[in-house]
Amino acid sequence: MTRFRDHAATLTLVLGLLVLWEVAGQLRWVADGTLPSLSAILSRLTAEWGEYRPHVSATLHSASLGFVFGNVVALLAATCFCLWPLSERLFRGINIAAFTVPPIAVAPVLVIALDGDTARITLAALLVYFPTMTAALAGMQSADPRAIDLIRAYGGNELKLMRLLRLRSSLPFIMTGFQVAAPAAVLGAILAEFGSGARWGLGTFLLGSLGRAEPDRLWGIGLTATAIAGLGYAISAFLAARLADTNRAVNVGVAPATTETAASPSWQRLLVLAAAILLPFITWQLLLWWADLSPIIAKTPLGVVDYLFTGTTAASAQERLLAALSETIPITIIGMLVGLGVAFGLALLSFASPIVMRALLPFALVTQTMPLVALTPLAVLVFGRGVTVTLVITISVTFFAAFVVLVQGFAMIPRAAYDLVSVYGAATAKKLKLIAIPASRQWIFVAARLALPKALLGVMIAEWLATGKGLGNLLNQSRGYLDYGMIWTVAVASILLSVLLYQLAGLAEWWQNRRHFDTPSDRT
Amino acid sequence: MQGLPLSFTNVSKAFSIKGKALPVIDDLSLDCPAGSFTAVLGPSGCGKSTLLRLALALETEDAGSVQIGPDTPRSACRSGAVGVAFQDAALLPWRSVEDNIRLPFEVLGRARPDAAHIAKLIELVGLQGFERAKPGELSGGMRQRVAIARALATDPRILLMDEPFGALDLILRRQMNLELQRIWAARRPTTLLITHGVDEAVYLADRVVILSPRPARVVADISVNFQRPRSTDLLRDPEFHQLCDEIGAWLEPGAAKASPAAHA
Repeated sequence: MTRFRDHAATLTLVLGLLVLWEVAGQLRWVADGTLPSLSAILSRLTAEWGEYRPHVSATLHSASLGFVFGNVVALLAATCFCLWPLSERLFRGINIAAFTVPPIAVAPVLVIALDGDTARITLAALLVYFPTMTAALAGMQSADPRAIDLIRAYGGNELKLMRLLRLRSSLPFIMTGFQVAAPAAVLGAILAEFGSGARWGLGTFLLGSLGRAEPDRLWGIGLTATAIAGLGYAISAFLAARLADTNRAVNVGVAPATTETAASPSWQRLLVLAAAILLPFITWQLLLWWADLSPIIAKTPLGVVDYLFTGTTAASAQERLLAALSETIPITIIGMLVGLGVAFGLALLSFASPIVMRALLPFALVTQTMPLVALTPLAVLVFGRGVTVTLVITISVTFFAAFVVLVQGFAMIPRAAYDLVSVYGAATAKKLKLIAIPASRQWIFVAARLALPKALLGVMIAEWLATGKGLGNLLNQSRGYLDYGMIWTVAVASILLSVLLYQLAGLAEWWQNRRHFDTPSDRT
Repeated sequence: MQGLPLSFTNVSKAFSIKGKALPVIDDLSLDCPAGSFTAVLGPSGCGKSTLLRLALALETEDAGSVQIGPDTPRSACRSGAVGVAFQDAALLPWRSVEDNIRLPFEVLGRARPDAAHIAKLIELVGLQGFERAKPGELSGGMRQRVAIARALATDPRILLMDEPFGALDLILRRQMNLELQRIWAARRPTTLLITHGVDEAVYLADRVVILSPRPARVVADISVNFQRPRSTDLLRDPEFHQLCDEIGAWLEPGAAKASPAAHA
């Protein structure tokens, strides 16, 4: 009965927000009609559906193929990483790169190196790989240790364990991974359409509609992309919930697994680390050899070094890159911090009032697939082309991942801890102060680690589409001038920057955990 | 099928915790003849479970040797000679009762057992009607009975149990003790039972072995000579209680060092 009432309250709130949107649109409250009413968007969408259809099916095609390929690779990789932990350590460089890579920076590179359709599928697959791989690996590694003992006691080897236990127990985790991966596939496909000169696709459609300053059209495209991504999310969420019933309680592995293996000699660890750092560059080189492209358009690692340091235009290239970095880095960090703040506030709100949180969640989800592709033009209409628009976009792409981490962190606090303070008569605010806020210290750095690459992506997209500054703009300009050296340089620089920021956040997290908490390895 | 002898000879085992070696078992020797029933008692954390894990090849001894018949634990386990039940039922939640009992066959790579064999095991532990139930639909006691049936599924010649009834209430525990005695008498696998319950140990076993606090060594080896089959009447027998008290004295703090009068 209370559940029913909760759902009713959530539904009322959602409907209320939709009505608010409609009214705001009808009365042109937001920046002179840049937020059209829902009915106007939908009626235009239905009227123009014939025009939409080829674009939708093109995006659906590359997104779903990318989803399938990315997941196949991710599941095979997770299985290997679980069976042979050394392989996980060797591939850590590639995995972190896959996680931190700003898709907008690799899209032009992929378009250079591959044909259009393959580039779109590849980018979608690349964005799918990481969330599924980590979720699957976390699921496999967290299989019931008692059941592991049991199977080992009957002489079962690692392959038997994998077949009989680990694969099946990771299923709910994999489904939660799909929830992240499905919107990511749509995003990847659309971003690759941006730079690929494709004829069809929602990204192309959006780019073509940008100049016309018709908010209802832009919103229509955004909502369509969101609907596709949301459908993938909903199916995965439904399956995850169904499967979770047959398993034990399940938490999502939101960060790369940091399983510290038993002490091996330090020179061996250094060797593995060096291999993990080199492997992405070797892979890059090998892929280019394999693709057999002209060295003028496809730069190898050494080609980039040559372009940036020894070539005839090196000085100018360095100057332009440094100027771009000095514009991009500060705004990325500020955007990330504000995004974290918003996430923290929302997480506290959701803790204090689950109903409000359930009502906000669909809208938060919308921003996850929508903003990158559709919010930018809309945000430009509302906020102009200054710093504000970059910040707004960055916050909207960072807060969701951080929010999910914090909410999960709150959920992991034992029920008894709340009950204990309730017994002493603590009200919600007191519970937040005594338990939730101190506990979240542990999670805020995890959230930061996850949010930083997204912040960089948000900044670069805003720079590319709106402000004409920084790395994003440099990338876009270089595409225009066919400056292949700079395209590759920006792609590499943005990945390295992202990895660097990610590692710094990881370092801060480690330092914080050492100060305030037992690290898990201390417990036996 | 006849039981196999199980022997621990001068076994030592240490774990490393934060880089420091923590000896858990120290020069322990224990012989379990074929078809015997041995109960192992000892203070918490003394290394009883480690003993069992050594016999299951889940851990490797630092010194000494563990033998099952002519084999190492690893090859004995791989041949299917060993059945095991843990304190936690460790059932796979997505498998039905029947499929959980079948699990050892799949791990061992043996042919699927016939339905009658599984049905007999289910009947043995009194779970008729629950063949297709999932573990989530069973009570704790029923789950534990599935685990016992699974331990017996391969007709093991060695049965290793780590507090299999630890999570059950007293009434259920008594009932399971009776059943275990019946099953053991019918098949006579060599049995090693790790337990906290003094009365359970005395009621079931031919001999009770008492371990010292960590690092574990055998401090007393007491034979239990009550006639079999043992009925529940034995639980009210003064002699039974006297033996339980005697064993209980060994388990009191400090008892392992100064050998208590009761033992003399």
